[in-house]
Amino acid sequence: MPGFTEDFYVRYYVGHTGKFGHEFLEFEFKPDGQLRYANNSNYKHDVMIRKETYVSQAVLEELERIVVDSEIMKEDDRNWPEPDKVGCQELEVRRNGEEISFATTKLGNLLQVQQSKDPEGLRIFYYLVQDLKCLVLSLIAAHFKIQPI
Amino acid sequence: MDAMDEDGPSQQGQRVRSTVTAVRKSKGRGFRDDRSGREELYGAYEGLDGDGTSGPLKSVEGWVVFVSNVHEEASEEDLHDHFADCGDVKNIYLNLDRRTGFVKGYAMIEYANQQEAQQAVNSLNDSDFMTQPIKVTWAFSPQPLRRIENRPRR
Repeated sequence: MPGFTEDFYVRYYVGHTGKFGHEFLEFEFKPDGQLRYANNSNYKHDVMIRKETYVSQAVLEELERIVVDSEIMKEDDRNWPEPDKVGCQELEVRRNGEEISFATTKLGNLLQVQQSKDPEGLRIFYYLVQDLKCLVLSLIAAHFKIQPI
Repeated sequence: MDAMDEDGPSQQGQRVRSTVTAVRKSKGRGFRDDRSGREELYGAYEGLDGDGTSGPLKSVEGWVVFVSNVHEEASEEDLHDHFADCGDVKNIYLNLDRRTGFVKGYAMIEYANQQEAQQAVNSLNDSDFMTQPIKVTWAFSPQPLRRIENRPRR
């Protein structure tokens, strides 16, 4: 279990612009525990959801454990597919004076990961963002009783 | 020279840049790309207000505790058995590691009232659950955990 760090910050964004406008999901955890979640789907005129709350220290520590265990900080997005018309994913992490701000396209499945120029690094990203989304969607669902997405 | 100098023009001025320690190393396309035209990300966010006292924050339908160091083979039923002693468990959130399919290591348990949830925090923190000591705390906080220093991005 990594020790908790005071500057720990995470942001994830996934989105694209298409016939329903700019549709996206974004969340961030700030070092003071603030969790912000935004989800805009214009399909059938859905409205923008924007929620914020503060999570406890234990939640931040678990988030940090997940990020550290993934070893994402050792990766680099240099050889990942560029964001494109299909969409864009961004992952930003700051911890212990190091920061990453990765961007790539939407990854539909593992095959796309395996066929990329950096399958090992991209696989780490692919699973990490799913685990992070899973944590955030549960926190939002438990706290606000909405079913995000 | 500050590591920030590599950032170039940035549209992220509205994002909180909170670093206690100075950034020594930056990596990734995000420090290069222009992200203007995303103004819709900066609208007003909606939250739940506490009752003005310190202590836990009530969720919409109940009180949520956060459990960590959960055994990778735990099931919702195992968790229910462990937490039902403190009160009526309304909901359990137990997520799996997307790569391995085993439990990721945390869970959330929702109780209808504060006394039950408080009882879980008091009596089940550090308790043994499937041979592992689990940590049981509140999931949400009514206020920031600490002051963060805002250092504007140049």
